[in-house]
Amino acid sequence: MSRDPWSDIVLGARDMMPMALAAATYGTAFGLLAIQSEFSLAQTISMSALVFGGSAQLVALDQLVAGAGVAAAVLAGAALNIRILLITASMRAALTHRPWWQVMAGVYVATDASVALMQTAKQRGTLASYHYLFGGGLLLLLVWIAATTLGALLSQGIPNPKTYGLDFAIVAVFVALLPGLWRGRQDLAPWGIAAATVAAGTALFPDHAAWALVCGAVCGAVVAGLRHDA
Amino acid sequence: MTHDIWITVWVLGFASLAIRLFGFLLAQRLPQTGAWARGMEALPGCLIVALVALMILNSGQQEWIAGAVVLLIAAKTRNLPLSMAIGVAVVAFMRATLP
Repeated sequence: MSRDPWSDIVLGARDMMPMALAAATYGTAFGLLAIQSEFSLAQTISMSALVFGGSAQLVALDQLVAGAGVAAAVLAGAALNIRILLITASMRAALTHRPWWQVMAGVYVATDASVALMQTAKQRGTLASYHYLFGGGLLLLLVWIAATTLGALLSQGIPNPKTYGLDFAIVAVFVALLPGLWRGRQDLAPWGIAAATVAAGTALFPDHAAWALVCGAVCGAVVAGLRHDA
Repeated sequence: MTHDIWITVWVLGFASLAIRLFGFLLAQRLPQTGAWARGMEALPGCLIVALVALMILNSGQQEWIAGAVVLLIAAKTRNLPLSMAIGVAVVAFMRATLP
């Protein structure tokens, strides 16, 4: 990473492009769905700008439409965004010793895609800097809002993204991250535990996949932490 | 309904920001060495594995095949955009040609 904040912001935004493309299809779909669920344009755009988490927004919307009430909608959405806590936790190195307003801005734009940025930086042999992560996150937020607005305004006549396999783009990003994240045999047990916990959790509690996800990630990390400790 | 939507948008928005901030504040208070540090280092990988596991459980054979192709290409090339584009193309092709 260079010492110049602006070039780090631009580099982060550039490296975020593929994830932004994947998020754009999802965001358009959310905008479309929100308008069809009697959200106003302002409400649809505000939700994308403030919540900034696709699955959380969809679930909250779903709960509202189902008539489950505000409390249920907020709880379900928050449960899905809990995993971002794990991401901002792993961004510690980039965020420490920053003024509070930079910390706020940095965590505001943190998403799953931030892991991809940290991974890309690592492949270049550097640690992801604050401005690099912020630049990437900001691009994703702007694209997310723009895509939501587009979906809400067009609301009809958008071709089904499934026809072009675009709904698979997000899955593909996460799968493509795996080889880079693999650090060798030491990861076998933590990853196995993480996947097994998710499988067991969703089998036992099919309605609480968000918690199975968080439990899986945490259990894997615990296994990684406890090993070699004897 | 419109009133409920606004409340949900603002409260969930605030909750999401609080969650994001809490993660960093929590990590700051954890020891920087030893078991905690090892766990934190392994966390991003474990989270992505958990996400992928959930997606695998929620999708069908065509997506599994495409996922395997993406994994193979990513392992060979370490190129994220390329792996993604090929994965999307494989899914689109299978959906267009297979019943």
